[in-house]
Amino acid sequence: MTLTIPLPAPVPPTDAVPVLSVRDLRISFPSEAGTVAAVRGVSFDLLPGRTLCIVGESGSGKSATAMGIMGLLPPTADLRGKVLLGGQDLIGLDDRALSKIRGNSIGMVFQDPLSALTPIFSVGRLLSDALRVHQDLTKRAAWEQAVQLLDLVGIPDPRGRAAAFPHEFSGGMRQRVVIAMAIANRPSVLVADEPTTALDVTVQAQILDVLRLAQQETGAGLVLITHDLGVVAGHADDVAVMYAGRFVEHAGVEELFRRPTMPYTARLLAAVPTVDSGARRPLVPIGGEPPALAGLPDGCPFAPRCAVALDACRSDEPELRHVTGHGHVACLRAAEIADGSLDPTGDAACVGRPTPSRRAEAGEVVLRVEDLVKTFPVTKGALLKRRIGTLHAVNRVGFELRAGETLGLVGESGSGKTTTLLEILRLRRPEGGRIEISGTDVATVASGARARELRQDVQIVMQDPLGALDPRMPVFHLLAEPLRAIGRDRESIRARVHELLTLVGLDDSVADRFPAALSGGQRQRIGIARALATEPKLLALDEPLSALDVSVQAGVINLLARLKRELGLAYLVVAHDLAVIRYISDRIAVMYLGHIVETGDTEAIFSDPKHPYTRALLSAIPIPDPERERTRERVVLEGEQPNAARMPAGCVFVDRCPLYRLADEELRHRCRTEPPVPTSVAGHPGHRYACHGV
Amino acid sequence: MVRYVTRKALGWLSMIVVATNATYFLASWFLDPRSNFKELRPVRSEAQIDRALAPYNLDPGVPLVHRWWDWLTSVALRFDWGKSPTGVSVNGEVGYRALVSAELVVIATVLSVVLGVALGVYTAARQYGWADRVSQAVSIVVFNIPASVAALAVVFVAIWLNQHAGLHFLYVAGENSPGVEGLLPTIGDRLLHLILPTLTLTLMGYVGYHLTQRSLLLDTLHADFVRTAQATGLTRSQAIRRHALRAALIPTAASVAFSVPAVFTGAVITETIFGWNGMGRYFIQTISKNDVHGAVATAAFAAALTAIGAILADIATVFLDPRVRVS
Repeated sequence: MTLTIPLPAPVPPTDAVPVLSVRDLRISFPSEAGTVAAVRGVSFDLLPGRTLCIVGESGSGKSATAMGIMGLLPPTADLRGKVLLGGQDLIGLDDRALSKIRGNSIGMVFQDPLSALTPIFSVGRLLSDALRVHQDLTKRAAWEQAVQLLDLVGIPDPRGRAAAFPHEFSGGMRQRVVIAMAIANRPSVLVADEPTTALDVTVQAQILDVLRLAQQETGAGLVLITHDLGVVAGHADDVAVMYAGRFVEHAGVEELFRRPTMPYTARLLAAVPTVDSGARRPLVPIGGEPPALAGLPDGCPFAPRCAVALDACRSDEPELRHVTGHGHVACLRAAEIADGSLDPTGDAACVGRPTPSRRAEAGEVVLRVEDLVKTFPVTKGALLKRRIGTLHAVNRVGFELRAGETLGLVGESGSGKTTTLLEILRLRRPEGGRIEISGTDVATVASGARARELRQDVQIVMQDPLGALDPRMPVFHLLAEPLRAIGRDRESIRARVHELLTLVGLDDSVADRFPAALSGGQRQRIGIARALATEPKLLALDEPLSALDVSVQAGVINLLARLKRELGLAYLVVAHDLAVIRYISDRIAVMYLGHIVETGDTEAIFSDPKHPYTRALLSAIPIPDPERERTRERVVLEGEQPNAARMPAGCVFVDRCPLYRLADEELRHRCRTEPPVPTSVAGHPGHRYACHGV
Repeated sequence: MVRYVTRKALGWLSMIVVATNATYFLASWFLDPRSNFKELRPVRSEAQIDRALAPYNLDPGVPLVHRWWDWLTSVALRFDWGKSPTGVSVNGEVGYRALVSAELVVIATVLSVVLGVALGVYTAARQYGWADRVSQAVSIVVFNIPASVAALAVVFVAIWLNQHAGLHFLYVAGENSPGVEGLLPTIGDRLLHLILPTLTLTLMGYVGYHLTQRSLLLDTLHADFVRTAQATGLTRSQAIRRHALRAALIPTAASVAFSVPAVFTGAVITETIFGWNGMGRYFIQTISKNDVHGAVATAAFAAALTAIGAILADIATVFLDPRVRVS
């Protein structure tokens, strides 16, 4: 266990000279719908050693800002304003002049570590190339420095691993390499564009620590772009909130979280589900969608979604103005909100969830899974495939789900969550164990007709609504298809489609539209409506919210809660976002390496986690509150989930277990040799965990 | 690496043996050398024809298996691929024509690859710019011109140039001029004869490489890792050359290697129009003249080229993509 020192408090502003000054940055792209003004006048100063977080939803212009600073925008982009780096204006420099600066005085960390490294070069070669672009080094000296850099960012056995290729590293390790490349030439400014979005929450904590270390090592100013308010609370000194291509609020991290003054910031904070130790507060969706950036109307771009907008808000766009004791806010009513006389969320707060977490009356058992096993063969050889091992994706997993209940499966990627879900949806005899749906054992279903009947009872909602809906079918056909498949006549299909659209809160007018013409939130609602068409009893939701923006997420969460209440559905939810899981689940099963290591009521697990893995998982989630986030004790797991092809003989978590390291010899022996059996927590029969050490 | 190539080469060798023997049987069944004698006057009797064919191991009276065994032993022991129905040695024909074809094909292939890949890279980096649009339009037009039309157009232009500009070095027929003596004059003479056919083959060949290389590079050009390379301080064109192009060249290398045998035996029209005696024309002639041994030797030659091409493709892939060395 690494009990890290609490995160340092925000660095107070000093009189140091800013390393990076951006003045009135404007970026626009030509598009078929007219010119898209992605960034419309962004200005800020970045002092050495400080961190500026830029927060916003997709399409708010935060990534375009980063690329504009780096000079990495496509050639068609139009770039205006000033980007002063150490007194030199980067805008207007040609590619050759910019390339002398990029990687030398300014480094960048990208979002997706899986695609950010050239696959055909070893990481040592990539790093030494990055060094040799700007420094006159021999190959050997550059390689030595590359090894040192890999060591700095925490790659075990750096000398041996330097010769390895990117595909031999996990996502977290690759992001460490990307960070090493960014800091190779000790830049004075680091730009990190969503550096942890593609990573698991436990790895996210590690990477943010590496980033902080890299910043300390180089003394660089850091521009951290993220949509995760928890990350902001833990790592920012200053925060800038972006909306429709502009900063709408720019303040110190404590001021911003103490009293968010722009209504958008306030609503964003209210819409984010959190894993706070306190009681669950109702989620308040912002409503509406972020505006399109082509042909933006006059007035404040947030006005159509704002609860406290005045008529004046719709005619003129407010400038970013200083508010005493806070920071800069672009809102006409900032003064009222700052002194506390106006609630920026308006009366919307009352429309929250009426019954936050009433456990539904336990209905009939809809799904029973016992000792489910799924393995994949590991093969080698091009022509004749030899089986050289077995990947244990799901290992003796069992749970029960009743009508009106939600079970959340959580765990890191590769823990077997989705495989479990797909095995259930396959409706075939499993490799091992039993699956029972509404009392029918799927192994006994022989005829195709009976299987189709069973299929009606189990439906799925996919992660990416754009990928899951046929782009060439209008919404009506999308919803009518499952009904036709079960042989409904035209009249009843027409009536049912209308009913479904009403059910998910959409207007009849969307029936003629194609998925591409819908917003992300609307698409996911169609995905849910389509799953509900055949009146299923069980809905499997595979990461239903991760493709949606924060402000839209809350609306879908509330919709799912309402549908469950009204239709008595059972949900089986797979998600990696524990905050979301907490909001929608009644019970949780924590999976690690194909095993359920802990299961129990949501509140019991969140308030009293037993298994060391659950504790680490919960502790890794950043809390959107700077004071608590920086003072709490965090458990940062070392290493990553091992390969499921080499299953340990004893407990699956033993390699990374913080308790194992502190345990005595006798207990260690048991952990290594004897798989732990699930045991119940005294007084909570539903709360079971599998650990020798607790 | 050496072990890897040896293993691959052995595999291909057995493939060549199988393919060649299969061709022998197919050719013996379908090509009938006796029909060559049908139009001769005075009309020969069956016995006369068989007797004429017997010295060349082509007598249909002898069981096929016997003829095959004789052919196989002579190939395996003396590397003698037999004789045509008129008694011409196949070895001599193939040896001479392979050299002629190589002259023509190797230079043209190298030129079309270099030109095609260079154009592909240049235009991919300037996608939808005027240079991209113009060169793509030209390539598509050239792609749709049949080889015979293109070759005749080249001949026509060359003759026109010779007449109007008083040039005399653009030869439109043959691979050499008679009566040239000495080493250097011979080489010079042959090179001058090469100009036009090479130009035609290059025109026919470069288009495919241009269009595929352009689209391959466009796939990797917008990859995140190219942006990362730029962020470390490379200019856009350096990042494209060092990071995007190398990955995008791997499929091209494989396709070049495998196209070699097709070009060797497929340049029939160019050879015919420019009066070159290459492998392409030989292949057609052997079939039309019921030359069993010649057709089999051509097939074996093409199989050997395919094997060489495949091994070269493997070597190129290993060179371009070091990841292959790891596993």
